Amino acid sequence: MSFLHPLALLGLAAAAIPALLHLLQRRIPPQVDFPPVRYLSAAERESARRLKFRHLLLLILRTALIVTIVLAAARPLVPLRSGGAHQPTAAVIILDNSPSSGAVIDGGLVLDRLRVAAHSSIARTTSADRVWLILCDGVLRGGSREALLATIDSTEPGWVRLDLVQAIERAARIVNAQPLTGREVHVLSDLQRTALASNRADVPNGVSVLALAPGRGAPNRGIASVRVSEGAAVIELSGSMLGTGAAGASQPIPVTVRIGGERPNRGEIVARGLATPSEAGGAATRAAVTVPLPAQSLAPGWRVGEAALEPDELRADDRRPFAWRVAPPAKIMATPSAGSFVAAALAVLLEGKRIVEGRDVVISGGEVPASPRAIMQPPADPALVGQANRALASRGVPWRWGQPATPGVLASLELALLNGVPMQRRYRIEGAGSAAQGTGDVLATVNGEPWLVRSGSVVLLGSRLDTAWTALPAAPGFVPFVDALVNRIVMGEAEVVPAEGAPHVEFRTRGTDTIGATVFGPDPRESDLTPASPALVTAALGGKDRTSVLSADRFAAERFSGTRRADAGGMLLLLALLLATTELGVATRTR
Amino acid sequence: MAQRLDLLDPAEVARLGGIEIVAEGVVEGFLAGLHRSPFRGFSVEFTEHRAYQAGDELKYLDWRILGRSDRLFVKQFEEETNLRSMILVDASRSMAWQGTPERLTKRAYADRLAAALALILLRQRDATGLVTFDDQVRQVIPARVKTGQWTRIVRGLLDTPDGLGTAAHAALQRLTALLARRGMVVLISDLLFDRELALAALRYLRHRGHQVVVFHLMDPAEVELSGPPEVRFKDPESAVSVVVRPRELARAYADTVRREIAAWRKACRRHGIAYHHVQTDMPFGLALRLLT
Repeated sequence: MSFLHPLALLGLAAAAIPALLHLLQRRIPPQVDFPPVRYLSAAERESARRLKFRHLLLLILRTALIVTIVLAAARPLVPLRSGGAHQPTAAVIILDNSPSSGAVIDGGLVLDRLRVAAHSSIARTTSADRVWLILCDGVLRGGSREALLATIDSTEPGWVRLDLVQAIERAARIVNAQPLTGREVHVLSDLQRTALASNRADVPNGVSVLALAPGRGAPNRGIASVRVSEGAAVIELSGSMLGTGAAGASQPIPVTVRIGGERPNRGEIVARGLATPSEAGGAATRAAVTVPLPAQSLAPGWRVGEAALEPDELRADDRRPFAWRVAPPAKIMATPSAGSFVAAALAVLLEGKRIVEGRDVVISGGEVPASPRAIMQPPADPALVGQANRALASRGVPWRWGQPATPGVLASLELALLNGVPMQRRYRIEGAGSAAQGTGDVLATVNGEPWLVRSGSVVLLGSRLDTAWTALPAAPGFVPFVDALVNRIVMGEAEVVPAEGAPHVEFRTRGTDTIGATVFGPDPRESDLTPASPALVTAALGGKDRTSVLSADRFAAERFSGTRRADAGGMLLLLALLLATTELGVATRTR
Repeated sequence: MAQRLDLLDPAEVARLGGIEIVAEGVVEGFLAGLHRSPFRGFSVEFTEHRAYQAGDELKYLDWRILGRSDRLFVKQFEEETNLRSMILVDASRSMAWQGTPERLTKRAYADRLAAALALILLRQRDATGLVTFDDQVRQVIPARVKTGQWTRIVRGLLDTPDGLGTAAHAALQRLTALLARRGMVVLISDLLFDRELALAALRYLRHRGHQVVVFHLMDPAEVELSGPPEVRFKDPESAVSVVVRPRELARAYADTVRREIAAWRKACRRHGIAYHHVQTDMPFGLALRLLT
């Protein structure tokens, strides 16, 4: 309890006045002759108990009256569960408008429900509060209450997945740093299970996390990814209760692929397939389908397509674009020094018509070929490394093989299939001292040191593709790796990279060449609309003592309740009036 | 129209003069109100002569002495009585109390009432005497009917100072020895003594055939308790004191006084004793009328 005028509490000393008056009055009473004292004594004996009770009652009433009046003057602020004004509070409103908030459940947009709660939270703040707003983009928005309300009102379902745990940690740190009485984080989210299953938020003590309980989940399916290779599109689906039919049985999901065509039915190629859900934990969460594409009928170049599902509760994940490059097979030749594993891999690719024989690209084992494009392994004989480096320098390659380096494990952002492959022997690939090489040319590393680099039309490897050097030739990804080397990397192309955002495709260019594409779409995890259980939410968002998962009514009642106060001065004055009336009654009626 | 002194406020009447004047005025008014002569039917007996004084009735003039010696003497007679009355006046210290200066003390009221009563009795040719007492008997004037008896009674009242404590039963026991013949005993007191002991003495008088009348005198302030918010009340006789808040105790005190009066009344009635509660603001005539 706090007081608006705490100095008034000094008046509590006046509470001793009734007792003091009582004692002072009793101390020196005037003496009067009165013959019938015997009658007085008898009357007093008969009334002693009643008088003692009356005196005690009056003393209590008068003392309580003074205390009540003094307290009323001090204007106490008492905590309230609902209503009343709250003390200055730092609050962060996390409005999760990630793609899943665009789902339509029970006839309403999920975001609408969240927006109402956020609007209400902002509206309850006062000028003494400090309030921020975090949307799915993770940006911390401050400003006036009106500005925040306008932001909330104009919020639409976004295309970026909100890392809820991270956002709450950040929000908790911010409010905890504020020198205000209250510290609250309001979490307005559909609280997807997938958003909370893996992380735990570290919420400082003193920060209260209030989460609006999620509504019910809904069956939904979305396109998680589209990957085009070898003339076919592999489409993966994700979501909750995929393919669940009326009887609850899993049913195939129709998927439509469209390629090209600025307008429907004008040069557009359409392919269809049926995705089969896979059971996981009693409910189908994944499904995949491979749809053949008529690649042979397409002219070389970059193509953009779109995979689509039939509309369901969440429209944002029903379509996902994709991009791939239609190119003729590369003309490859391997020198004898390239090794047997490379030769074997090329044979496989040749058989699969991924390459043809030719001299456009040469894979060598240390020597520098005269072909336009070259993929070079270090020489098997260390004594030839210097010669090879001089040849590289003469060709203008700003990289060279250095000293043998320590074993390690491959890591690559460009070629995910390389990640984790052990490397026993390698040369450290070093820059030649010129400024021509850049970090963008390093495609894979071992122990943080370059292992696969590209400079123009030359690609250098730090190890020979031999099992004496690395386990890569024995790995399942070896052939795809060689395929990528000869068809894409040495051609200067980057991989088609998925990114989060509104569905579209952006091409990357170098000069006039298109060297890659970024395909934007929603995070596949957004498709799973299954809400987390309250226990999971509580555990993930700071623990039971700091986090509460509340229904809409409880949420409205509990927010700012930790610092909600009401001025009890009026009530105390009423109580004082009641006490005064009672005292008057006791003082007059009990004589 | 002349005011009847017996119906005026006692304190106002007391301001007119001494006890004799007041008592005579009260008795005159009281007897006038009775509309009958108190002197009719009494036999008289010659006792002595005295010199004639202006105003004496001529019918008492002794014509034979006038014829023999040419001197004016009037005959004085002692009336025969059929009643002997003894008035007992409580002269204890508690009787010397008044609730306010505007009122008579209980003792002053008792003196005037006793004087008036004695005058009435004497005028009826009843032998009347006086006993004043506090913790012991202070004055004893035997019952007589001769001329000057009233003056002696008044002087006895005036000569009795305010006493100390009250021991009514001792005084009453001594009185029984003085009252050999049956008669009337009038006790004027505030009755602030042990009721059982006093009643025992009064019962004894009744047993001896006396007619007993008790005037219970109280100041109005003794009936309704009042005073400052808190006060120490001290008994002037016993020095016992008690601290009370009059406003708090007023109701209980009034109840106690009512119960005490009722107890006296009931006890007296049970033993054939006439009991009269008289407050010192009651006109003397009304108090005397209680006897009729």
